Amino acid sequence: MNLAPAATETEITVSEAVTFPDGIPGFESCRSWVVMAAESATPLRRLHALDGADASFLAIDPRAVLENYRCDLSASDRRRLGAGDDDALLWLAIVMMEPSGALTVNLRAPIVINPRTMTGQQVLPHNCLYPLRHVLVDAE
Amino acid sequence: MIGDGVEVRVLRVGKDGVRLGIVAPPEIRVHRREVYDQIRDANQSAVVSAGQLAQVAERLTKAK
Repeated sequence: MNLAPAATETEITVSEAVTFPDGIPGFESCRSWVVMAAESATPLRRLHALDGADASFLAIDPRAVLENYRCDLSASDRRRLGAGDDDALLWLAIVMMEPSGALTVNLRAPIVINPRTMTGQQVLPHNCLYPLRHVLVDAE
Repeated sequence: MIGDGVEVRVLRVGKDGVRLGIVAPPEIRVHRREVYDQIRDANQSAVVSAGQLAQVAERLTKAK
């Protein structure tokens, strides 16, 4: 799989349900998720839980937000995803609309999906200097 | 030991406190509670309804 440059949308797509063995924090019972286009909110995508709770999130590839974005996966994260060194992974950072109307993105704890194993998780790096709420669009 | 396979070790004892280490099998994730809670709170705030999706789309269009 080719990864598109940071400025354009990544070519990695998953068309079926992805298994999140631990859900994501706050939604631990949601074990099955789909990644969809977000219709009019492109280049954002929609991450939707199929079970556990009625939860939808908007997300964007963190590398499209910050060109040099890098988040190291621990050995145990890789094992959980079944990710070898050669696996191309889908990265999605959750986007939030603040009460002010600003759109922010969680660069600190990205979602990582391995399309080959159809497994995903939200990664919580131990020492992550990226912001929890990086401003994507300012408040009006 | 806590349960099967999770071990708490005392790494260092000093006047400022005790440094603990956790040893666990790879399928068990170990996090500091405050880190997990922070991400949990952020996720819960980030859930979007269909109406909010439209609002976000509008904000993005205006920002382009």
